[in-house]
Amino acid sequence: MSATATSARPQSAPLIALMAVLMAASIGVQVVRDRGWQPYQPENPTLWVESGPLLQRLSLGLDSLVADIYWIRSVVYYGGKRRAEGANRSYESLYPLLNLVTTLDPHFRIAYRFGSLFLTEPPPAGPGRPDQAVQLLTRGIERDFGRWEYFYDIGFVYYWSLRDYPKAAEWFLKGADRPWAAEWLRPLAATALATGGERATSRRLWTELLNSDMSFMKSQAELRLMQLDAMDAIAELTPVLQRFIDRERRFPRSWQELADVERLPKVPTDPTGIPFYFDSKVGYIDVSPKSSLWPLPLNVRQLPPPPS
Amino acid sequence: MRAIFLVAGAVFRESVRDRVPYSMMVFAILLMAASYLISQLTAGQDMKIVKDLGLAALSIFGLLIAVFLGIGLVSKEVERKSIFGLLTKPVSRAQFILGKYAGLVGTLIINLGVMTVAYYAVLGYMLYVSSPVARAAWPAPALDPRLLIAVALIVAELALVTAIALFFSTFSSPLLSTLLTLGFWVAGHFNADLRNFGTVVDSAPVVTVARALYYVIPNLAPFDVKAEVVHGLPVGADHVLLTLLYAVVYSSVLLTAAITIFRRRDFK
Amino acid sequence: MPAAIETEGLTKDFQVGFWRPRPYRALDALTLSVEPGEVFGFLGPNGAGKSTTLKLLMQLIYPTSGVARILGKPAGDVTVRQRISFLAENPYFYDYLTAEEVLAYFAKLFGYSGAEVTSRVARVLDEVGIGAERRLRLRGYSKGMLQRVGLAQALINDPEVVFLDEPMSGLDPIGRRQVRDLILRLKQKGCTVFFSSHILSDAEALCSRVAIMAQGRLVSCGALHEMVAFELKGWELVAAGVNDALRVSLQGRARSITALAEGRYVIDLPADAAPERILVDLVGAGAQVISLHPVRETLEDFFIRQVKAASPRQTGMA
Repeated sequence: MSATATSARPQSAPLIALMAVLMAASIGVQVVRDRGWQPYQPENPTLWVESGPLLQRLSLGLDSLVADIYWIRSVVYYGGKRRAEGANRSYESLYPLLNLVTTLDPHFRIAYRFGSLFLTEPPPAGPGRPDQAVQLLTRGIERDFGRWEYFYDIGFVYYWSLRDYPKAAEWFLKGADRPWAAEWLRPLAATALATGGERATSRRLWTELLNSDMSFMKSQAELRLMQLDAMDAIAELTPVLQRFIDRERRFPRSWQELADVERLPKVPTDPTGIPFYFDSKVGYIDVSPKSSLWPLPLNVRQLPPPPS
Repeated sequence: MRAIFLVAGAVFRESVRDRVPYSMMVFAILLMAASYLISQLTAGQDMKIVKDLGLAALSIFGLLIAVFLGIGLVSKEVERKSIFGLLTKPVSRAQFILGKYAGLVGTLIINLGVMTVAYYAVLGYMLYVSSPVARAAWPAPALDPRLLIAVALIVAELALVTAIALFFSTFSSPLLSTLLTLGFWVAGHFNADLRNFGTVVDSAPVVTVARALYYVIPNLAPFDVKAEVVHGLPVGADHVLLTLLYAVVYSSVLLTAAITIFRRRDFK
Repeated sequence: MPAAIETEGLTKDFQVGFWRPRPYRALDALTLSVEPGEVFGFLGPNGAGKSTTLKLLMQLIYPTSGVARILGKPAGDVTVRQRISFLAENPYFYDYLTAEEVLAYFAKLFGYSGAEVTSRVARVLDEVGIGAERRLRLRGYSKGMLQRVGLAQALINDPEVVFLDEPMSGLDPIGRRQVRDLILRLKQKGCTVFFSSHILSDAEALCSRVAIMAQGRLVSCGALHEMVAFELKGWELVAAGVNDALRVSLQGRARSITALAEGRYVIDLPADAAPERILVDLVGAGAQVISLHPVRETLEDFFIRQVKAASPRQTGMA
């Protein structure tokens, strides 16, 4: 007489199965839809609120969190632009975004430091705006206890992007006076002043950064040092090439020919293992555009045109 | 089926007698009227402002109606125990949930319909008072029927949000449900960024997780064709239809989940 | 003919506590059965498990184990709900609707339509005594009026089985009398009434059978007259013309002797005192017997005795 237990709690399994099927269907619909026409996504995300203080008031006390959200937007924005295809890559919203982040959270150290790195990157990898980088870092000095790192970063911008070595030295010295400053700032200032522009000095600058605990800066430093090594290698190769030209009165047809004639141990490659690029028509040595070291940061010596 | 219809009717009757939707509608209509005055300050961009503000008002006030009514639907009934009277009638729990949802979507459609009429009234007035020179400068006609496409997508988006609200209110308190629903609305609008993670981050597991989240979390950005419609740009028909279909399918997922949870609950 | 209501080993554990939930056994292996046409009283102090049982029967909550059946079908069968009705304790309906509208809504859910809805609504509202207020929104109703609306919605489908959770609560004496009459009318129609209460006099007046619950367990179940029949507590004898000598001789055998007026006394005799002998003595002494009544244990005495004897609630962990 006892009935099947339908007075007990109902089974959910069939409904859960239905849910899974419907979810899969929704994903399918999205996949198909995403392949087609998309509504207008603005190239530069609409910053509905451009004014920092206004956004601060709107954040209703969650400033720090909103700063984090905007920082993520900045990173996604920068990264997206950098990896995008197409010649026209405008980074015009980058500085306003970074401005917003640092207004909401004036102690957001990474935003100032990485932000300035992003801003100095020359096109097409970045907006190439060292002036904005300096501006951002100056705000950091004003609003975040004048940390020595910001002085150092400004000096760096002057050294590397603006090539103003006296100014760079000036900022390194100012930084050296700040609390907790690294001891190598003073000698760095001296070196910048004396031999700014030399590869050896730049190498020193970048080597310091290798010890940074921020991975982005560390990988930048590794890249720059490899580029400097490449430039050293080019400097060594140039006389070899010159000898060839003087003797044969023409450019070599390939690296192999040069290697054979001048008895080089192997075809010259850059530190990443990709052979250098030698343009036999115009006449200069550079890293290959296929190499991750391309483009090299400073002017490379150009060989004289072959004798006609 | 009849039970669903009856429950829906009760929801509709409740919303008519509730002050909240009325206030929202009045605010929205006032805003649209005010937008006409604001537009006079914009030196030539008046039509754009009126259209933008109108659609924004529909969106925002519609959202508020959807969330606040949606939360009240189940949470209030459970809290006040009026649900005992209903669930002891020949109505299954699934019919209860579906009826509530149908009632609220019906209410939304009516409310948004009224607001749309007001919207077109303001646009019609602008058309009437503008000179032929001004009219020639507009990228799209004043009484552009394609605005209705944007409205339809807004309604679909709100139907989805209502399903979210209903889902949360089957198991959590009114306050928590409101916060969660609004949270998912925000997340739904930033969802597109998740899809583009692959262009920024190299780590494959992170990209896979981000993509999975993109598909699972409700994706609300594609419902927004306001920019196209206001500027008179074409809108992909496939996109509209597929997005509407997405709204239907995803809402079904949420309703199924709501029914599953609701069926298993104890009402003490 | 299946029982109108039956349960077998119906048990409900609630998980209590947030961090380490422990099961709290609200109902422990309840087995009972109610025949069609009975008025069944489900009695017990607060916390005994009465509301839990009713909610399990209406499948508002689900059992941990055991089965419940109504009219032969499992509790929770949606079709059975057509033939039964329920009134919750302290009912609440939709306060933005009027009484008529709420009842019309429920009537339509039962499948009635059109003119039948209107006539049924009017009829049940008359039956529970709601007059012109029926057109006012429930928001303004008193507790007693809400209770009547609740009763009305329990009648609207002419149910075969009616479940009432504390139907008298919140009513004044007139209201309670009206509910009692209503239940009796239902009984005359052949309806099965299952109601829970902690007011024993109501049960005494209405029920053919009762169950007594305590600490989540059934401590006693049966016909009322059987349960309290053999508990004779004593006799109450009223006599007149009792002189002092007689009174003194009675004092040893009586529990108490109280004077009503000059020479007239109420004599409270213990159960084992043979009243016939005392009658003989009285008459022999020249007194007059006015009345002699057996004093039986009331349901209340029985109830308190049973509840006190019940062992404490188990936690439900095996």
